[in-house]
Amino acid sequence: MTESARLSISNLDKAFAAPVLIGVNLTIARGEVHAIVGENGAGKSTLVNILAGNLQKDDGEISLDGNIYEPQGPRDSYAAGIACAAQELSSIETLSVAENISLRALPKKKFVIDIIDEGALNAKALKLMQRVGLQNIDPTSSTEALSLADRQLLEIAKAISFDCQLLILDEPTAALTTPQADHLHSIVADLAAAGTSIIYISHRLDDVLAVADNVSVLRDGELVVTTSTKQTSVPDLVGEMTGRNQTTATERRDRVSDAGVVLDVTDLTTGDLPHAINLTLKSGEIVGLAGLAGAGRSELLSALFGLVPLTGGTVRRMNNGAEHAVLNAGQAVRNGIAYLGEDRQSMGLFPGQSLLTNMMVPGSVDTKTLQYIDKKRERADGARFVEKLSIRCNNLAQDIRQLSGGNQQKALIARWLHRDSDILLLDEPTRGVDVGTKNAIYDLLIRLRQKGKTIVMASSEIDELTTVCDRILVLSDRKLVRSFERSDFSEQDILAAAFSEFTASVDNQSTSTSRVASPQR
Amino acid sequence: MNIWHSIRRHAEDNFILASLILLILFFGFSSDNFFSVITLTTILNQLPALTVVTVGMTLVLIVAGIDLSVGSVMGFCAAVVGVAAVAWGLPLWMAFLMGLGTGLICGAVNGLLVAYLSLPSFIVTLGMLEMARGLAYMTTGSQTTYIGSQIQSLALPLPGIGVSAALIFAIVLVIAAQLVLTKTVLGRYLVAIGTNEQAARMSGIDPRPYRLMVLAVSGALAGIAGIFNAAYLGSADPNAGIGLELSAIAAAVIGGTSLMGGRGSIIGAFAGVLIIAVLQNGLAQIGVSEPTKRLITGAVIIIAVLIDRWRAKHASAS
Ligand SMILES: Nc1ncnc2c1ncn2[C@@H]1O[C@H](COP(=O)(O)OP(=O)(O)OP(=O)(O)O)[C@@H](O)[C@H]1O
Ligand SMILES: [Mg+2]
Repeated sequence: MTESARLSISNLDKAFAAPVLIGVNLTIARGEVHAIVGENGAGKSTLVNILAGNLQKDDGEISLDGNIYEPQGPRDSYAAGIACAAQELSSIETLSVAENISLRALPKKKFVIDIIDEGALNAKALKLMQRVGLQNIDPTSSTEALSLADRQLLEIAKAISFDCQLLILDEPTAALTTPQADHLHSIVADLAAAGTSIIYISHRLDDVLAVADNVSVLRDGELVVTTSTKQTSVPDLVGEMTGRNQTTATERRDRVSDAGVVLDVTDLTTGDLPHAINLTLKSGEIVGLAGLAGAGRSELLSALFGLVPLTGGTVRRMNNGAEHAVLNAGQAVRNGIAYLGEDRQSMGLFPGQSLLTNMMVPGSVDTKTLQYIDKKRERADGARFVEKLSIRCNNLAQDIRQLSGGNQQKALIARWLHRDSDILLLDEPTRGVDVGTKNAIYDLLIRLRQKGKTIVMASSEIDELTTVCDRILVLSDRKLVRSFERSDFSEQDILAAAFSEFTASVDNQSTSTSRVASPQR
Repeated sequence: MNIWHSIRRHAEDNFILASLILLILFFGFSSDNFFSVITLTTILNQLPALTVVTVGMTLVLIVAGIDLSVGSVMGFCAAVVGVAAVAWGLPLWMAFLMGLGTGLICGAVNGLLVAYLSLPSFIVTLGMLEMARGLAYMTTGSQTTYIGSQIQSLALPLPGIGVSAALIFAIVLVIAAQLVLTKTVLGRYLVAIGTNEQAARMSGIDPRPYRLMVLAVSGALAGIAGIFNAAYLGSADPNAGIGLELSAIAAAVIGGTSLMGGRGSIIGAFAGVLIIAVLQNGLAQIGVSEPTKRLITGAVIIIAVLIDRWRAKHASAS
C-alpha cells in the first residue's frame, strides 16, 4: 500500500480581477518541508489563504491525506489539522499574550459555569513561548507592548499551539534577526522529524535552501518548477522567479569628503534608550543600524523622527546653515526627514484608500495644507513609482489592501521617495520584498546617496547592510556599542558586537528582564 | 472604453441621486399636489439648517469622530440669537455673530477635549448635548422668544430667485466643503487621519489640530443652523433641534459616509438630506400617519446602508 501524500493540489485556479493562481499542482509528503518562493504578487499568500480557508478556490482539487479538502472557513482548516502563521500579524492587542496564543481553544474549568482556566492558559502559553524563544516575556502581559519580532514569534507560537499535520509559515522570518530565524528553523526541523509537513514561504532564499527539502517557484500565478533544494541554488531560483537573469551592477562612487553634517545627535536618551547616544549624519552617506531583537534600533529611529519624547539630549537638524531642533514628527517632515516604520499595517498603510493616495499622503516637499492637489501630476508621479519599484497592481486606484504584502511595502517606500526628503530613516525597508526588487531598492538608495541624501536604515539582515551601507552602527541592549567603516565590514565582527552587551548581562538578569517589564511609551 | 467607463462610474457614484429622483417621481405620481409650489417650498425651507449641520457632521465622521451635540448647540445658539436681539436689543447682525460665536465656542470645547485630552468624541459631545440644551432653557427661561418678522427675511425666498438666502448659503457651503474634501491636501489629511491615525502621525501629520478643527467647524455650523432656525420660525425656540444629530448622521450615512472614518462625501450627504426631507414630506402628502412615517424613514436608512455596502463590495470585486 502506498502512503497518500499529506497535501495534494491539482489544477488549482483562483482569480480576482485578473488570474492570480493558474493551474497549480503541488504535492507535499508527510514530514516534508516544502518552500514556496516567488516575486511579490506571485500568488503565494493567496495559495496560503485558500488552504487556510480564508479564500475559496475557483477551480481545482485539494486533498489532505487522500481525502478531499474543501474548507468553507478557517474553522474547517483547524479541524483538518492545518495551522497557519499568516504574513500579516493578527494578534489582538487588548488581549494578553497567553490569550492570543490559545484564543482558538481556551482551556476551561468548571466553576458553576465553564470559566477560563487561567492557570492552564498561562502554563500552556509559557511552554510554547519557551519553545519559540519568547521566554522572557510575561504571558499575562498585554500584546500591545510587544515588538514586531516578538509578535511574529507569537504568531508562530499560536500556529504550533495545537498538533497539526500541516503547518504553513508565510514569511515567518521577515521581522526576525538571524539568531531568531535560526532558532525557528530548528523548530521547523523538529516538527518535520515528528511527521508534520511544513509549507515555508520566504524571500530569504539562503534560508529556503537551508531549511526546506523541496522548493517550488511561483511566477505570475503559475508553478513553474519544483525541485529538491539540493539540486538548485540561489541564482537558479532567482532566474526561475523572474524568468530572466539577474543583473546587479550597483556602481558606487566614492563619498564626498567634505560632506556637511545634516543631523547631529548629542547625548540622546528616551524612555526606551537609557544610555546616551551620540551620532552625526552627513549628507551622501548610508548608515546601517545592526543589532539583535530588542537592541533598540527601531527605538532609535523613532526617536530621531521625534515620535517619542526625549528624556535627555538633543536632535538637531542642520539645513543650509539653519539649525532646528527636531521635537515632533511634523517638524521632522517639514525639515526634510522621512520615516518608514517597521510595521507597515499599523504605521504606514491607509487601508481602504487607493494605492495612489497611499503613495501621496504626506505630499511633496512644497505641500501646503490648503492647497489644490494636482491630480494629473500625482497620477504621473504615481505611475513612475509603480514602474520604478515594479509595484504589481491593477491600477493606481486599486485599494491598497488588495496588493500583496511586498507591494504594499514598495508603495510606502514610494511615499517617501516622492517626498524627496533629505534624510530617510528606514526601519526594515525591504521587509517582505522579493529579491529582484530588493536589489532595485539598494540601487535606488545608492543613487539617492550619490545625490547627497542621507539614509539611515535598520535591518536584521546583516548582508543587506554590508551591501549598501557606508558605515554600520551596532546597537546592543539599547547601547550604541560599535561603529564599522565600510573598509572593515565583517559579518562575524558585527554579530559579535550585537551580542556583546547581551552576553555581558546574562549574569545580570535584571537588565534583560527590565526591557520586558518596562511598558513601552 | 474610456467614455463608457466614466459613464458607468458616474452612474455608480450617483446611485443616491438616482434614488432621490425615483423617490420624487414616486411621490409626484402618487399624490396630486406633491409637485405643487407649496410642497416644494416647504421642503426647501426645511433644508438649510439640516444641510449645514450635516456638512459639519460628515467632516467629523470622516476623521472617525462623531458630534452628538449639534442639535442642542443649534437650540442654544437660536436661544442666544433670540435673547440678544430681543432682551438686549442688539441689531440683528450682532445677534447673528453671537449665535455663530456660541456655536464655535461649544464646538471648540468639544474639539479641545477630544483632540488634546484624547477623550472619546462620543462621550464628550454627549455631555455637550446635555449642557447646551440646559443652557438653551436657561437663556430663554424655557420660553419661546418671539424675535420679529425682520429675521424671517433670511428664510423667505428672495424675489426673482425663488429660494431663500439661507438655502443659497447652504448650497454654496456644500460645494465648498466638497471641493475642500476631495481636491485639497487638507481633505486628504482628514481622510488619512480617519483611516489610520497612527500612520498619519508617522507621515508627519499631527491629527490633533485637525480633530479640533472639524469639531469647531461642526459647532460653528450648528450655530449657523440655529440662526436659520430662528429665521424660519421668526422666534427662538429652546426646544429647537431635538434629535437633529440623528437626522444628520442618517443623512451622512445614506450619502455613503462611514461611521468608522476615512470615507465620506459631502455631496452624498446633501443627497441624503434631500432624501430624508422628500421622504418625510412625501409620506405626509400621501396621508401616511406619523408612526408609519417613522417606521418607513428608519427602514429606508437601513436599506440605504445595506445597498451601499453591497455596492462597495461589488465595486472592489470587479
Ligand atoms: N482581494 C484582492 N482583490 C484583487 N486582487 C488581489 C486581492 N488579493 C490579492 N490580489 C492580487 O493577487 C496577487 C497575488 O497576491 P499574493 O498576496 O498572493 O502575493 P504574494 O506572492 O504573497 O506576494 P508577497 O511576496 O508580496 O507577499 C497580487 O497581484 C495581488 O494584487
Ligand atoms: Mg504574501
